[in-house]
Amino acid sequence: MSAFRDRFNRLRGNTAAAEPSIADKENGTTNAASEAVVEENGYVEAQEKFVQNCSEEQCEVEEGTTVEDAPIEQDESESESPPEWAPYDVRLVRNEMGEFLAKEIRYPLDYHHGHHAFAEWGNAVNALTAFHGDEQVMGAAAKGAVPSTFVPLRPDNVLFLDLETTGLGAGTGNVPFMLGIAYFEGDHYIVRQSIIRHPAEERAMLADLKARLPKYHYLVTYNGRTFDWPLIQSRFIMNGFGSKVWEPLHLDFLHPSRSIWRNTLVSCKLSYVEEERLGVFREDDLPGSEAPGRYFAYLADGDPKPLLDVFRHNEIDMLSLAALAIRFGHLLAGRIGTAVPMPTEPEELVRTGLWLERMGEEHSAAPLLAGVRRVQEASPSVWNRLAERDKRLGQWEDAISLWQKAAHAAERNAISDWDAHIELSMYYEHKTKDIPQALTYARSALELALEQPLSGRADSKRRKEIDALRHRLDRLMRKAEK
Amino acid sequence: MNQWTGRARDLEEWLEELKKEPELMDNVTHWHTIPPRDARTSPLPNDLAPELKEALRSRGIEDLYVHQAKSYGAVRAGDHVVAVTPTASGKTMCYNLPVLQSLLENSDGRALYMFPTKALAQDQVAELQKLADIMEVDIKTHTYDGDTPPTVRTAIRNAGHIVVTNPDMLHSAILPHHTKWVKLFENIRYIVIDELHAYRGVFGSHVANVIRRLKRICRFYGSSPQFICASATIDNPKEHAERLIGESVTLVNDNGAPMGEKHFIFYNPPVVNQQLGIRRSSVLETRKLAGMLLRQGVQTIVFARSRVRVELLLTYLQELVRDKIGDKTIRGYRGGYLPKLRREIEKGLRSGEIRGVVSTNALELGIDIGQLQACVLNGYPGTVASTWQQSGRAGRRKTSSVTFMVASSNPLDQYIIQNPDYFFNRPPERALIHPDNLLILIDHVKCAAYELPFELGETFGSENLEDMLEFLVDEKVLHRTGSRWYWMEQSFPAHGISLRSAAQENFIIIDMTEGSRVLGEVDRFSAPTLIHDEAIYIHEGVQYQVEKLDYHEKKAYVREVDVDYYTDANMAVELKVLHADKEKTSGEIVRTYGEVTVNAKATIFKKIRLRTHENIGSGPIHLPEEELHTSGYWFSFSEEAAKGKGTNEMQCALLGLANVLVHIAPVYLMCDPLDIRVVPQVKAIHTQRPTIYFYDRYPGGIGLSERLYEVHDELLGRAHRLISNCTCLSGCPACVGPIEEVGLLGKAQALQLLEEAGAGR
Repeated sequence: MSAFRDRFNRLRGNTAAAEPSIADKENGTTNAASEAVVEENGYVEAQEKFVQNCSEEQCEVEEGTTVEDAPIEQDESESESPPEWAPYDVRLVRNEMGEFLAKEIRYPLDYHHGHHAFAEWGNAVNALTAFHGDEQVMGAAAKGAVPSTFVPLRPDNVLFLDLETTGLGAGTGNVPFMLGIAYFEGDHYIVRQSIIRHPAEERAMLADLKARLPKYHYLVTYNGRTFDWPLIQSRFIMNGFGSKVWEPLHLDFLHPSRSIWRNTLVSCKLSYVEEERLGVFREDDLPGSEAPGRYFAYLADGDPKPLLDVFRHNEIDMLSLAALAIRFGHLLAGRIGTAVPMPTEPEELVRTGLWLERMGEEHSAAPLLAGVRRVQEASPSVWNRLAERDKRLGQWEDAISLWQKAAHAAERNAISDWDAHIELSMYYEHKTKDIPQALTYARSALELALEQPLSGRADSKRRKEIDALRHRLDRLMRKAEK
Repeated sequence: MNQWTGRARDLEEWLEELKKEPELMDNVTHWHTIPPRDARTSPLPNDLAPELKEALRSRGIEDLYVHQAKSYGAVRAGDHVVAVTPTASGKTMCYNLPVLQSLLENSDGRALYMFPTKALAQDQVAELQKLADIMEVDIKTHTYDGDTPPTVRTAIRNAGHIVVTNPDMLHSAILPHHTKWVKLFENIRYIVIDELHAYRGVFGSHVANVIRRLKRICRFYGSSPQFICASATIDNPKEHAERLIGESVTLVNDNGAPMGEKHFIFYNPPVVNQQLGIRRSSVLETRKLAGMLLRQGVQTIVFARSRVRVELLLTYLQELVRDKIGDKTIRGYRGGYLPKLRREIEKGLRSGEIRGVVSTNALELGIDIGQLQACVLNGYPGTVASTWQQSGRAGRRKTSSVTFMVASSNPLDQYIIQNPDYFFNRPPERALIHPDNLLILIDHVKCAAYELPFELGETFGSENLEDMLEFLVDEKVLHRTGSRWYWMEQSFPAHGISLRSAAQENFIIIDMTEGSRVLGEVDRFSAPTLIHDEAIYIHEGVQYQVEKLDYHEKKAYVREVDVDYYTDANMAVELKVLHADKEKTSGEIVRTYGEVTVNAKATIFKKIRLRTHENIGSGPIHLPEEELHTSGYWFSFSEEAAKGKGTNEMQCALLGLANVLVHIAPVYLMCDPLDIRVVPQVKAIHTQRPTIYFYDRYPGGIGLSERLYEVHDELLGRAHRLISNCTCLSGCPACVGPIEEVGLLGKAQALQLLEEAGAGR
């Protein structure tokens, strides 16, 4: 062994300068290899998810029931704790595949997590069917049959899931060491966190999960479409449970969160959404990126203490997931302005309206979009976004008035956004054949574009746009001369 | 011959005209004509599905060449197969036929094709899809590489019958995510590895390990696929295939494809200085020949050995024909070009729009550029195998083709050009790999552990696996529970491991002339000599000067310039012996194989004027020293052999000998000449004797020095013949080196030393 180490160190020591350290992940590689970073698109997002950071600001702690106060009931199948875990309410679970540990925390429905109480779930859950209901009902209706298999969302057929893993991405070497699931049952929201004392216990933990899954039809996650769920599927395969263990209808709230808050919030990581929109403030939260390190430390010496923060972090994720689900349920049910506050920023307003429309909730969307039209001050992109929708629907008059607002706003505030000018120029050139008018807008667009100096880097896209603008101008001038 | 245009009717006529020009013919040392060869065929196999027979017939294929039929038979018999055939011999049919037949029999089956580059993969898919379309069967072929859009990836993983990819993609995307490929791995019947000869040296050693990992994953899903390999002509195809895939294989090497008449012309530039043995520059002669061909309208490929030469020749040729044909019809092609540009050039060559291309060996591989009519090699490509591969780029089944080999003045070129029999009668080189190189192996053990936990009793390569796993446990990369080792680390190991070069990272070249754009890249070993501060880096015929090399960030910032020189850098090398493994005495020479460390540092660069190639200045290079631990082979001369030589004389003798050896060593190795290095020492620290060292330029070695140790006697004998047969007076670039370098008596001293040592027979 030491002979091997010597040999290896001789080789490596001498090339140490060239060799990246084992933990160095940001390596450039050859063509084919670096493309592989993009290959599994989950990788980037998972990474994003992993570097979640709690805001450094001192946050107010939510008054009311703390987690420790929540009554904890013990599942019968679970026996005593191993001694080192005894102080933490973590119990040993045994099944035919082996052993692992689990902790269960039950929250009564009157528990408030931020702005929302779990009691709202019953009222909100049905509207979430919009995520999947339409396609199923419509599909079946088109065939002239009543869907027999379709199950709408009910309070108790939804499983919430969030993993803590040893690494990034959905690669086969990334092990979920903690599996957080949660569900509404009777008068409680129950969070169940499983943890494995070493990787060989994973099989038993997955067997436990597998046994629970048939009760649920829906899966709720945050970024689970690219990360948590594919990873679980991969783990089922790795552990010999096959590739089709459970095929839920998936509600990944990262995607609607992005649709709505992309430009309003600093980031769409759960921790930001939570603070800004759910009224949840974490105290001393462990950044997700540090979770693997804590687990490795535990593996090395068996002391569970460093993992307590991971339990806590995961638990809050599970609570926020439910709160977010409630919020989206309200939103889809048209309770904006009542259960959910009306967005104050035009950007969020227009995005929420358009999202609702895409979800088939035109009725709920209409007042929001009307609100956008009434707004006096907004960035050109707000008007443009709505104008694009009007254009698609053939509502040219509405679109034009919005583009004019946008163009005006851009010129007045010297914002380098000339999309509206181009749209107007195209409209006048092709629709009304008003070449002088088209020319005016194209000219102003170029002026706006050239106002900001090109600063070398990353401007190649802008340079291309400017070239395109010049072509447009040339063409219009030729037309004007005829 | 058309009196007005000076153009010949066809290549045949032009070659006849050429024979009447004494000025050129004086330099032709050998004109080898390979007569046209008729096809040897077998009828379509009986068990071939009717729709497949029909599809072949509709494409004009009524029977198979014998090698295709034999390969089909062997695969059907359940053997792993390696088919060895030259360029344009219908090689792909050797594997496509059995794979398609198998898929027609069982549509759940899957096959994985591996090509060394993306471009090759894309060519394949088109061909397979065409056959599937003719048959009107649902056989889906897809490339899966970095260019595959994310939206279609899922479909390919689940439904692609034939997945065409490259080893890098297997290494960093497919294997680490094998659970997304359940359908493929559960049903995989065949693994096709084309361009087998490309997997040699460091790259091949990595790929052999990727294949070990691939087989391991297949076992996990309960499948044991058959390997079908295809290779260009090398000396040891069967052995190489067996080392690469770790299975015994059946060799098919009976080429039955027809070939038009082929002219192979050896061209030695005239001696311009008899005393110094200096010949006219091979670059200028290449320019002349390629220019003549291009003006005749013959589509021509020019191969040059270095990037710099490619760019030089490109500049010259574009100048030469600027007024005749448009600027875009003559292009360069080499590793540093970005993929999009390369695809554009390949397409232009196929369509005939591009009439001339100057390339490094990057175009040696089977990338589909159609068959050209003429090939000009600027210098001997370094190996017999490469020479045939490159020359195969010109050659059609029915009409004639021509290859010119223009010798440079280096000893190997001169040896080849003066000994045509050697070239035409010798088997090509052996492909060497060393998959158990410790550094390479441990990297792949990590990747394999990431893919699937290791189980006690498993093996991986020839090293003791348990030792390696325990070592990785100590390194806190793996975690052992009972009899299993699990990956327990945050990183994704494949991302830090590049299969392509010893260097883990390439240097990026950024053009700051206008804004900033990525121009290309250079591997780490080449960086100190190619893109040091003030270096002239030539890209697509345009000169750039390196303004700053950010060594730490691995970036070079360049700006377009227009100067009349290029740069050439020197390396200083220091060498220590760590350990001697094998030793043998023959005559007055002791030779040893063992481990060495090498410290190399780029020292100065010279500015060399374009066209005249005179030295017009120099400057220092300030870059960190590189340390390399590798395997080496060295031999030292006894006191007896060295007697009567002063330090100076010995210095000259050794230097002369080393100059010869470094150039003829590749005769025994299939490697880039830069992969093996030579260092002469008058009084070596280790042996205290005059010694010549060889070492592999890769950490841990890749088997090159070891092979040279084995052929030592033959190597020295060949060196002796080369020196004594050289017609120069007292040393020239074609043997021991120019007299400025080895002194007036260098040649005699080197010869004498060999004879004293008993190596001169």
